[in-house]
Formats: sequence, C-alpha cells, structure tokens
Amino acid sequence: MNTDVPTTPGASSGSLLRRTGWRLERRLEVKPWHEVVTLVGAFIVGLAICSILIAASDKSVVDSYRALFDGAFGSRRAVYETLVQATPLIFTGLAAAFAFRARVWNIGGEGQFFAGAMGAFFVSDLWHAHLPRGVMVPVLFIAAAAAGALWASIAGLLKARYDTNEIITTVMLNFIILLILSYLLGDLWRSPDTFYFQTVTLPESAHLPLMIDGSRLHWGFGIAVAVAVVVHVVLRRTALGYEVRGVGINRTAGSYKGISVPRVTVLVMAISGALAGLAGAAEFSGIHHRLQLDISNNFGFVGIIIALIGRLHPAGVVVSAIAFGALVNGAVTMQIQTGIPAALVDVIQGLSLIFVLTGAVAVRYRLQRTRSDE
Amino acid sequence: MSDVLEALINVGVLASAIRIATPLLLAALGEMVTERAGILNLGIEGTITVSAFGSFVVADKADSLWLGVLSGVGAGILLSLLMAVLVSSIKVEQVVAGLALNLFGIGMAFYLFRAFYPQTGGEMPRSDTFDYAEIPLLSDIPAVGEVVFSQHWLTYAAILSCPVLWWTLNRTQFGLELRSVGNNPAACDMRGINVTGMQYLALAFGGLMAGLAGAFLSVFLSGLFFVDVAAGRGWIALAIVIFGNWRIGRILAGALFFGYLDAYQLSLQARGVEVPHQLLLALPFVLTIAALVVNRRRSHEPLHLGVPYFRGER
Repeated sequence: MNTDVPTTPGASSGSLLRRTGWRLERRLEVKPWHEVVTLVGAFIVGLAICSILIAASDKSVVDSYRALFDGAFGSRRAVYETLVQATPLIFTGLAAAFAFRARVWNIGGEGQFFAGAMGAFFVSDLWHAHLPRGVMVPVLFIAAAAAGALWASIAGLLKARYDTNEIITTVMLNFIILLILSYLLGDLWRSPDTFYFQTVTLPESAHLPLMIDGSRLHWGFGIAVAVAVVVHVVLRRTALGYEVRGVGINRTAGSYKGISVPRVTVLVMAISGALAGLAGAAEFSGIHHRLQLDISNNFGFVGIIIALIGRLHPAGVVVSAIAFGALVNGAVTMQIQTGIPAALVDVIQGLSLIFVLTGAVAVRYRLQRTRSDE
Repeated sequence: MSDVLEALINVGVLASAIRIATPLLLAALGEMVTERAGILNLGIEGTITVSAFGSFVVADKADSLWLGVLSGVGAGILLSLLMAVLVSSIKVEQVVAGLALNLFGIGMAFYLFRAFYPQTGGEMPRSDTFDYAEIPLLSDIPAVGEVVFSQHWLTYAAILSCPVLWWTLNRTQFGLELRSVGNNPAACDMRGINVTGMQYLALAFGGLMAGLAGAFLSVFLSGLFFVDVAAGRGWIALAIVIFGNWRIGRILAGALFFGYLDAYQLSLQARGVEVPHQLLLALPFVLTIAALVVNRRRSHEPLHLGVPYFRGER
C-alpha cells in the first residue's frame, strides 16, 4: 500500500499523522536545551491546568499565583522557609537519583527516611547528656545514614541474592518500618508526659545549629547542598560512579566489563538508603527534635519525583527540590490569603511530573515532512 | 488471654474480616488483570482515593447511592486510562507514572473535596450508605448467616467475580490473548493482537475494580471522605497480588487472610488487650516479601511485567 513511506526502526508513526503529511522521527541526539524547554513547558502546562481549577472555583488566578509566589519568595523570611521545606527533599531526591542512575528502583525513600530518623533519635536519646553538641550532631547524622543504609540493604540483598523485584520489596519495607515506629512510639519510646504517639523532645545538645538566627533555616540545608556536590563527584569521578552508570546503561555489558552487578546493586541500595536516612536526621535534629509519625510530608515519594524532574542529576535535584519547597511553602500563604486549598500544590506537582515524563519521551522525536508529500 | 483466643473465632470479627477484605479483593483482582497484561500500576492508591471521592460527592449531592457508585467507577476508569495513555502509548516508565498518578489523584480528590466542602470546623460531611444486603433464609443460619450472608451486595459481587474472572482469563481466547500480552508482547504483535489496545482494556478493568473499592470505602462503609481514606489499601492490594502469585484462588485467600488479621487486631484493641497490634499489621508485608523469595522458582509473574513494549525494538 504505502510503499513509498519509509519507516525507520523505532519511529512510531500514527496513521492519522501520516495522512496529514507528517511523521514522527526519532532524534539522533537530544540537546540540553531541548530538555530545558521541555521542563519549563511541562511546568507551565501544569500551572495552566491548575489556573482552570482556580478559575472554576471563582477565585482570581493572578491573585492566587501572586500569593503563592509571595509566600515562597516574597520576603527574606519566606525564602528561608522555602529552603527549610527544600532540605529533606534534596536528600530524598539525591537518594532516588543515585539509585535510578543504576536503574535500581528504590521506591523505599519514605521508609529509609524514617529508619534514618529512628537511628538519629536512638543515638541522641542514648548519648545527648554525655556528648557535646559538636560531637553529638555528627554522630546522629552518621547513625541516621547507617540506619537508612541498613534498611535499604534488605531490599538490595534480596535483589542480589534472590532477584526479587526491588520495587515491591522497598514498598513493603516502607510499611513495615512505619508500623515498627508506631509500635515503638506506643511503647518503648513513648514520652511519659503525653497522650500522643511521640517521643520526648530532646535538649539542645542534639539540635542541629541554625544557619540564620531567628529563622527556622538550619544547617541541614548546607549539608544537603554539600552532599549533592559529593554525589556529583562520586558519580563523575570515581570508579564506583563509573560502575553505577555502567550498570544503569547496560547490565549485561557491565558484567562483561568485570562489574559485579549484584555487588553494585547492594552498594547502590545502601548508599541511596543512607542519603534518604540523612533526610530523617536533618528533619529530626533540625526541626522536630523528637519523633512522631507525621514528621514526613511524603518526602520519600516526592523525592522520586524531584529526582526525575531534575533529570537524575544532583544539580537538577537541588534546583527542583527548591522549586517544590517553594510550592509547598507558598501554598500555605495562598490558602490563607485566597482560601484556595493547599492541596492544589499536589495537583500542580502531579501534573508537572506527568508532563515532564511525557515531554522527556516526546523530546526524543521530531516531526518531519514525509517524502510522499515532496 | 481468653480474650485473645476468643476474638480469633468471634462471629463479629469474622464478619468484619470479610467486610475489610472486600476493597482489598476488588483492587487486587483489578491489579492482577492489569499486571497480566504487562502493566505494573502503582497508582491504585490514588485511583481508590479519587473513586472514593467521586462516589461520595455524587452520592451526597445527587442523593443517589447508585449514581455515586457509578461515578466512582467512572473516575477510576478515567484515571486508569490516563495511566494507559502514559505507559502504553507514550511509554513512560511505569513505576514513575504510577507514583505521579498517586500524587495527582490524591491531591485532586482532596482539592475538589475542599472546594465542595469548605472547612467549617463543624462535623465532617456525611453521605448515606448502603444497607447490608441480608440474603433471605441463608442469613438466618446461626453464625454462618451473620458472617457470610449479611454482607454488602458489593462483597457478594466481589467474591462471585472470582470464578467469572478465572474462567475469562483461563478458558477464553480473550483471556489467553491478555495473558500473552503480558508474557510476550512481540509474539502477540506478530499474531495481530493489538498490544496497546489490550493494555488499555486491562488498565480500564483495573480502574473499574479500584473504583469499586473506592466506592466501597465511602458509600458502603463509612459515608465519609477524607484524604487518607484509602489508608494504604492500594499498596496492600499490590502486596496481595504478589502474595497470591497472580492466581485468583490465592488472591481471594490472601485478601481474606489480610482482612482477618486487620479485623482481629481491631477487636483486640477494642477489648483493650495489650498486644503489639502494629506487629500483626506488619505481618502481611513481611509475608509478601517472603512469598516473593519462596515463589521465585514457580512464580506466575508475567514475564514482561513493567517493561514497555516498542515495536521493532528488543
């Protein structure tokens, strides 16, 4: 029939398109500016759809977005608060990005966050009276990283040893750790002077120092950015980073190159868990100073989204975490000023992600005039 | 101690076990069919939430429970078709698309809920709920009548759907084709089976079932909607599919078992028995991981699960 229309392998060409004389062709090379355009485009489309939602509820779109922006960046104070919100997301975003680089699907950031917070609380509770702050804080961060790594390693080891699907095991482990925490909060760790499921509030020796006095911005943000730099260097400049990227690109070829895929899998899972665990430490010792069940605002799951929007690059993770922090922070102001439910932010985030994902695929193709039309 | 043992076979506990199992069974059956066509849908939690809201708001505003169920199912199908567009047509990574769907779905449901019912500080808005559908005669049998034959009509439907689904999947041409799509899409494509179309259908069915599960939570059980209405049931459904090794009989057993554990720990809490009920609740997740390890040699996991199919690429 259409013998004059050549089909290149991988070119998906809808017949509807073809009838109008165009076809989709795979790009040979995706340039960085293509990706930037996609990201910005996705965000704008997400915002545009949400504008419809706002307009439908008879509120002014301009006022709403202005309130959102003011809440996020309108004052020095607002900026600090935005960075506070971004801090755990940088850690969990890095955790997801690192694992996904090796195509290890760690969906357990949420659980590893709690494992980290629990590790941090455990050592703080044990030693805060004996150690000075300058020692206690590093120790609790190390404990958190270890706890996160340990919890994630369960999934890593099961994958390496039995080839179990890590998506499923990490999701299950999320629930298990939350239930363990819930048990501990109701029993061993419960603060004696409260009815709620929470631990005692720890004294200052276990508090992360503030970056800016008089705000809530603690050094967790500084540490997060530093860790992002370290992750970048590890990925780019070390043998481990080479192996991680190698396994991510092609498992089989990686193993021919002498990379032990099971070993890398376990290692990647552990490091990813450690990064998510650090988020738990930062939130525990920077903000809450005690454990309770609601210290995570979905940080583990949002981290996955941030990693993808940041194109699995540490710098991208930092930028998109700050953007998400701004949204979350600004939404509070928006809700107060305009009465628009803060849940709108989840919609914006979800939609942006959907369009980013779509865009990331779309950018690999371009429209081309078909030959039959020439 | 006697309380702990008595609750094990208490009629009320057994009846509520079946009630709790219903949404789990519905969602798990839907997810199983979706996975059989090669799509791992992690967005069930969001789908259940959206459907629970859809059912609730229509049941309340239109004052019709049946319309409520219908719109809940419609919302579930719609969200799953969005997933289908993303993963089957555009071929976005399935795990990520599912997570995006959760975020978007739960956010959207809660946003619309707040838009329809502004926060007043008073009591939560409440819709009507279905009455129990007691089956005449059978519900008069002592104990068994109360446990099995005094449930909601949707519970009966969920259980009856098991044999129907089994027959469709295992004894019809359509079922064979659907399962083949999950195992070897390239071969199906060569045989002229529409792979994408099958995956759309499977996802739509998954959405329908998750939609029923959502409707069950709002307009059957409580008459309430809140942001955490799904309370992890979407994820438990996912666990049940694996626990049941993608087979209908075991999925039914798994759902009942998980429902029973939940009902049992609830009744222990209600009696004020000091047991670590969280550890009972964690059991399903531990068992699911164990099942993954134990079943790995005779796993019925679809071979092409979670892998997007590109024609002409291997």
